[in-house]
Amino acid sequence: MRVADQQMYGTLLGNLQRSRLQMLTSQEQISSQKRVTNPSDDPSAFGQIVLDKSALSQTTQWIRNINFGTARVDAADHALGQVQNLITRVRELTVQASSDTTSAEGRQSIAKEVRQLQRQLVQLGNTEVAGQAVFGGTKTDVTPYTITAGDTVAYQGNSETQSIAVGENQTVQILVPGSSIFTGSTTNLFDSLRDLLTALEGNNRSGIQAGLGNLDLATAQISDAQGTIGALANRLQVTHDALDTATLTITKSISDNQDADLATAITQLRLQEVAVQAASQTFTKIFDASLLNYLR
Amino acid sequence: MSGLNGLFGIGSNALATFQKALSVTGQNIANVNTPGYSRQEIILTEARPEDGRPGQTGTGVEASEIRRSVDTFVEQQVLSSNERLGQFGASQKALSQIQLLFNDSNDQGIAAGLNEFFKAWQDVATNPADLTARTVLLTKADGVTKLLNQAGTQLSAQRVSLNGQVQSSINDVNALASKIADLNSQIKLTEVSGQQANDLRDQRGRFLNDLAGLVDISSIEDATGQVTVFVGIGQLLVTEQKAYKLTGVANVANNGLLDVRYDGGTGPNTDITSAISGGRLKGLIDARDTTAVGLQTSLNTLTSQLVSQVNTQHRLGYGLDGSTTQDFFTASGTTAATISLALSDRQKIAASSTAVGVPGNNVNALALSSLQTASVAGLGNTTFQGYYSAMAGSFGATIQGVTRDLQGQEILHDQLLAHRAEVAGVSMDEELINLLKYQRAFEAASKLITTSDEMLQTILTLKR
Repeated sequence: MRVADQQMYGTLLGNLQRSRLQMLTSQEQISSQKRVTNPSDDPSAFGQIVLDKSALSQTTQWIRNINFGTARVDAADHALGQVQNLITRVRELTVQASSDTTSAEGRQSIAKEVRQLQRQLVQLGNTEVAGQAVFGGTKTDVTPYTITAGDTVAYQGNSETQSIAVGENQTVQILVPGSSIFTGSTTNLFDSLRDLLTALEGNNRSGIQAGLGNLDLATAQISDAQGTIGALANRLQVTHDALDTATLTITKSISDNQDADLATAITQLRLQEVAVQAASQTFTKIFDASLLNYLR
Repeated sequence: MSGLNGLFGIGSNALATFQKALSVTGQNIANVNTPGYSRQEIILTEARPEDGRPGQTGTGVEASEIRRSVDTFVEQQVLSSNERLGQFGASQKALSQIQLLFNDSNDQGIAAGLNEFFKAWQDVATNPADLTARTVLLTKADGVTKLLNQAGTQLSAQRVSLNGQVQSSINDVNALASKIADLNSQIKLTEVSGQQANDLRDQRGRFLNDLAGLVDISSIEDATGQVTVFVGIGQLLVTEQKAYKLTGVANVANNGLLDVRYDGGTGPNTDITSAISGGRLKGLIDARDTTAVGLQTSLNTLTSQLVSQVNTQHRLGYGLDGSTTQDFFTASGTTAATISLALSDRQKIAASSTAVGVPGNNVNALALSSLQTASVAGLGNTTFQGYYSAMAGSFGATIQGVTRDLQGQEILHDQLLAHRAEVAGVSMDEELINLLKYQRAFEAASKLITTSDEMLQTILTLKR
């Protein structure tokens, strides 16, 4: 078999170029720390990365939603806790007022304190987070409870609720409208307070006693709402924890598919360096072996 | 011619022959790196002997032929390897450029745009009364339309640029065809007088290889040494001294991009676009009319589904200002290049499912954001992301396949060239040995002449 110069140089050149190309790929992987940058690098991994990144953006968004919802739910929970304290105080005063020994004047002064407490309760009913009412249903832009005439309190909100997305096809309610807490189906706290005030100022003992019963009904109704809100807060927390775990899993999956394994890439680079060196040395050896070097 | 004169004759013949042999060697050495050069070899034969007693006497040496070493079978293989190399090379280059559309690894791509879009909807759903969230939604929606517009425009631009390359390849084909036709006539003229047109044949071979890199051809050589070249479905491109033309003719049905037509002398009336099965033209046309169009179609499907799904849901809801049955995206813009936002007023974003639920009702916004994970019938029951991911994956597989084909073909081509060089390549060692060999022979032949001269002198002195 004849061996032409073109054969030697051509083959060597081809091999050198291919090794250099592989070196370049390894160098790119090492410098970008990514194994997959283009669909052609690994089509199925690229597709999976796209899906994983979408999933990751969803879970981070759900966590964001939950953080927002938690602020609302916590504010509601906190406000209702205070509401219960105030009602307890009103009840104490009412018990005191319903006593035989309390004079009409005494009842008048109790009425003054109860009125203050009523105003505070209205304020709590108008609790806001970031300028939006918590107990107004979806009418977040209005003040839910306003004192119209005398001690009458009117509800300006609606009975709609709001839910947020916390998972695929999963929502959690983050809003309990005031119409099912203060002014609910069982009893209307503010109507009861108005009637109580009228009874106190009118020195009407039976009216005061009736007010006592209404207060108990209101306490029960608000406790119910507290239970609901507590359960919601709990659900948000549990979902948050689950999403944290999911985020870690997805991040790892993206990294597995996308990131270059530095150890492998560097080993590859070394191997290719050796190949290039070997080819280069072969080149000089071929040159040394030429007959030209022996013809003088 | 026997006797001393004959000896002179042998000497001078030998001198001339070895000189010729040395120039053939020189030609080989000089062309060691010339692409397409085929090694030449001088064929030495004994000159016709003279009759005499006791027998025939030799009359020396002569060069009967300067032969070109070539293996036509390998040449044919190199030719078809060039066709595939041209095709895969053009495809690979074109697709790599198109691939730049998928810059999702830096979170800049369409997938990321869609994610941002749906995230913004969730922010609106979470806090429907918040105007900032609504502004962000409009910005993100605008972002995703821009990304799709860009992809659509880029794909069209890629097709136009590929089209330009189709035209220049057609020009190259025509130029090569007429060069081959010219060489045909020169070779015929040279060889009809009994000469070997070695170097012209090498040149023609090189042009044929270049031509094969552009378009798949078949060629046969006739008895006069001229090649006939066929292109497409047996259309004559070159016959004897005549070259025919390929012409790019705009196809209205294909956005005015060029069809490749064959002009057999009666005008460009034979469409051979789909008959081209190799060479750069094949690669370019495939990338232009198959891969890029496929991507365009997929992107447009994705876009039109996005527009219709989002609009359908959005029209059901109510904006902060009580507006309803509003389109979110412009209903007529259903391609990637034309999608645009219909809504410019954040108040009109229909987050609420009821007119009275405004501003806190978020039911419609929730429904819209859940489109992100919804299976869409128009996308083959996958999600938007799933569809995009499959599209990117299948494009990646295509380009990966072409790259592998190209790499495989390059190795095969190297081997074929080595194979070719084995027969036709110049070996420097061999030529150096020949150089020495013929130089020594030349020296000996000149010695022959001086010897016969001395002998002649001796005879001449006899007379005195």
